[in-house]
Amino acid sequence: MQPMAKLKPQPETTRANAVEVTGVSHIYHGRDGAVPALTDIDMTVPAGRFTVIVGPSGCGKTSLLMMLAGLRTPTSGTILCDGRPIPSPDPQRVGVVFQEASLYPWLTALDNVEFPLALKGAPRSERRERAQAMLKLVGLGSFGGRYPHELSGGMKQRVSIARGLVQGPPVLLMDEPFAALDEQTRMTMGHELLRIWDETNKTVVFITHSLTEAVYLADEVLVMSARPGRIIDRVAVDLPRPRTYQMMATDKFGQLRERIWQQIRAKE
Amino acid sequence: MTRPSPRTVRRLIGLAVLVLWEAVPRLGILPELFVPPLTKTLAVLWSDRLIYFGGLMVTLYEVFFAMLIACGAGIALGAVVGGVAVVRNLMLPVVSSLYAIPIVILYPIFTAWFGIGSESKIAFAGVYGFFPVMLSTAAGIRTIDEQYLLAARSMGASLPQLITRVIIPAAIPTVLAGLRLGGALTIIGVVVSEMLTSASGIGYLVTINRTILDSPRVFAAIIVVLLLSIAFDLAVRAIERRTMAWQTAGRRVASSEDVRAARMPAPAAA
Ligand SMILES: Nc1ncnc2c1ncn2[C@@H]1O[C@H](COP(=O)(O)OP(=O)(O)OP(=O)(O)O)[C@@H](O)[C@H]1O
Ligand SMILES: [Mg+2]
Repeated sequence: MQPMAKLKPQPETTRANAVEVTGVSHIYHGRDGAVPALTDIDMTVPAGRFTVIVGPSGCGKTSLLMMLAGLRTPTSGTILCDGRPIPSPDPQRVGVVFQEASLYPWLTALDNVEFPLALKGAPRSERRERAQAMLKLVGLGSFGGRYPHELSGGMKQRVSIARGLVQGPPVLLMDEPFAALDEQTRMTMGHELLRIWDETNKTVVFITHSLTEAVYLADEVLVMSARPGRIIDRVAVDLPRPRTYQMMATDKFGQLRERIWQQIRAKE
Repeated sequence: MTRPSPRTVRRLIGLAVLVLWEAVPRLGILPELFVPPLTKTLAVLWSDRLIYFGGLMVTLYEVFFAMLIACGAGIALGAVVGGVAVVRNLMLPVVSSLYAIPIVILYPIFTAWFGIGSESKIAFAGVYGFFPVMLSTAAGIRTIDEQYLLAARSMGASLPQLITRVIIPAAIPTVLAGLRLGGALTIIGVVVSEMLTSASGIGYLVTINRTILDSPRVFAAIIVVLLLSIAFDLAVRAIERRTMAWQTAGRRVASSEDVRAARMPAPAAA
């Protein structure tokens, strides 16, 4: 584990921390007045680590992720992604995968993956090449010509992951990406994600409601309280990697899962 | 015995209508004044072809400009109403209730303003076709999946890029449905206004021949209007097929690719 040596200003070298959140609070001003969604969040994700966030519904997980992605500005506190603040979305630093694959139905899988590159105005041949390489990485090398409605739910999420990674961001944010999938596909996708993570050395922040998924994937699980969301526990998952399905049956796995569950239940 | 395909049945029904059209008046079941035989109608259509062609040209000219108004203004205003919440809340209730008014009662006012020439038809039919185009454009834009926009923003899309690369393609199916309805109403608007007050056009040919009880010529004009509507519908369908290739692409690909393709979910409602 790296120490928090972030004093030296060296933009060239890889940062020790890919994500740094300090004292972040967020208040929504909705129709029924001010809704405090998050209070005083501190979190650090060292580069290359897999962090999972769990917490009861409505505790502000999505809000936090949107702020990490630059899609929302926190009411107070600071957020550093890859060492710099992120006032607006920057797909070269942070890729995002949502629960709904949110692929554009009028574009083929390949065109969907190319979309962020097309926004930047990258030359066509380069776009093709990079997008094709990403589809291959997620195991859909021969499906580029398919439209989203011709793909299964799991395949759509793979395309969505490829799209999130196509600009080569060091950080990948995922908001319940497999929640809409059936259990078997979900397990396979989790496993696939770990493989992709391992191959690409990304820093992943992953939100889920499934405690099994959380323990299976994570280096560290952050447990949040009900609204207004705070981080109430940080559970280091020291199961060896690569993770295997057999680990789910071990005592250790069960204990970790139980510890997280107790935290969530106690606060409800 | 195998059941005939719907296509065959449709053709048979069409054929039956044509046969009846000929037979019913010939056999004296209905007087020729009510329904002139098909052959007689086609004969006058041919002998008066220059008159009908001239009428059609006038009607087409009016339809063209009326559609330009209906579609142009409809899409532009629909985009504003659908995209800007303030305008929407202000305008949509008003527009929706205006839509229910039989606009044809306003036609006399249009003739007072624009005369009985083509201008009044263009203006009237333009307004007539405008509402469905505007309402469906507004609906098409308002009902765009928020996730599409969020995803695009997360990928760094600017506002112009959001509009051209997400909002427009996402709204096209709904807008086209509106264009189809609005276009049909525009044709109706032109023909009806020609029938009411005018000195040219297909609608005028219907009215003038009806007043002198020349049924074959009335029906000949009706045939021309029918063909015009069918041609319009075919054209819109062709455009729909082109712009929405992705909705139908499934069959083409599935037939040529591997078996895994068989596990396709239903297309998500856009
Ligand atoms: N745009 C908004 N305006 C007002 N309140 C909002 C808005 N978005 C979210 N909220 C509120 O903020 C709180 C946190 O929402 P958020 O979507 O971040 O929760 P979540 O943890 O992702 O929930 P879930 O697990 O159900 O996805 C909720 O109580 C929600 O009602
Ligand atoms: Mg959420």
